[in-house]
Amino acid sequence: MVQSYEVFLGCAIPNRFNNYESSMRAVAKELDIKLIDFDGASCCGTVVLKSIDENSWLALSGRNIALAENRGHDILTPCNGCFGSLKDTDHVLHDDETYRKKINAALKGLGLEYTGKAKIRHLVEVLYELKDEIEAKILKPLNGLRIAFHPGCHLIRPSNVAGFDDPELPRKVDELLELTGAKCVPWGLKLSCCGSPLLITSEDIATNVLRDKMISARDASANCLVTNCPACHTQFDVQLIGMKDENGESLELPALFVTQILGLAMGIDQEPLGLELNRISLDPIADILGI
Amino acid sequence: MTEIWGQFKSFDGKKFEALDAEFTREVSSLLGGKDLTACFQCSKCSAGCPVSDKVNIQVHELMRMLLFGIKEVLETDMVWLCTTCYTCQERCPQGIDITDIIFGLKNMAFKKDISPPGYIAARKSLYDQGRLYEPTEWEREDLELGDVPELNVEDTRKMLDKTGLMKLKEGD
Repeated sequence: MVQSYEVFLGCAIPNRFNNYESSMRAVAKELDIKLIDFDGASCCGTVVLKSIDENSWLALSGRNIALAENRGHDILTPCNGCFGSLKDTDHVLHDDETYRKKINAALKGLGLEYTGKAKIRHLVEVLYELKDEIEAKILKPLNGLRIAFHPGCHLIRPSNVAGFDDPELPRKVDELLELTGAKCVPWGLKLSCCGSPLLITSEDIATNVLRDKMISARDASANCLVTNCPACHTQFDVQLIGMKDENGESLELPALFVTQILGLAMGIDQEPLGLELNRISLDPIADILGI
Repeated sequence: MTEIWGQFKSFDGKKFEALDAEFTREVSSLLGGKDLTACFQCSKCSAGCPVSDKVNIQVHELMRMLLFGIKEVLETDMVWLCTTCYTCQERCPQGIDITDIIFGLKNMAFKKDISPPGYIAARKSLYDQGRLYEPTEWEREDLELGDVPELNVEDTRKMLDKTGLMKLKEGD
């Protein structure tokens, strides 16, 4: 059955990780997931606006949900930040009548109303449901790939809002990645925040949080890091460049998106996977990836 | 550069004039604040916090300050160094929405001008452009991606005028 969603890209993906969007579209096409353009989308508001003013955050995020809802569509997003923000808004507006009334009063001027009909889904949730189809399409196994998979906070927590996977032992995306023959290594700081929300407050502390995490990935002998979030990926594929441990050893590790891994293993053309846009060199694992 | 946030660095030698029950009530009425007073100081929140070793005031201390009605909590570094990872909230044995409470504290601090400068810039781009960042066109062309759907910024501004995003401070 063809599933269809309005695809909510957010700001970070079109700004710096167009390879995530492109690889998502390539994988979605292969799996018959129809992605409809999200007309009129603004920023999701994300934790930034929620930190500044919760009413404005609920209004901005509620408007996005109402747009898709009023067109009769569900929402799919490849970004943890957008997913968290939209789900959290949906949670508040659904459960709290006072906020719902307040936000609907602000939406009324735009001819919109939130009623809570649109489902909000993360790309990996939808992919997980298509596990069997994906397994049947694996053409080029990635044996030897040792992935430190980073789920990112807002995909799994708070679990009563995200509703996706076990918040203390998430394995669903790991299962997906392991369909390719890769191994997802257990690593101590897998569930720990990447630090990216702190880039706006203190780059130093954001960097220290990332360094701790990378030492954990190295200790687990991972040969790459995989994410499903552009905010996290900013840490792993931008901020990580040139990072060293206390002995001066490089902590760089190739960083890829879930859809790039699945796309390669499914034998999808390399061009739309956008691997040349990954900033940290993929050379150490090029043979395994077959590139 | 002296930061305008995180200036409350230690309890040592501090005397608090009054324990303000009204402040505790105000925080309890924020999103997620309703179970605030159920905190029994087990410190599980701080045990799982990714910045516990990087802040002066830890999450469980922040929670106690709230319960005691100590307004200086808004000046602690824990408020703005919370990564919003939700680990504390997920694990709280009392079911307190700790991370959501910290969001509310950020709102209160922002109104008092206690925030990292990046947030002031972010507010402006959210109001002016409805987005935090603009698309990188050459990358999209290289990957044969279509244009990012347009946004009518007038719409989002109209709404943000209604919620008063640009007038959060008293006297704005």
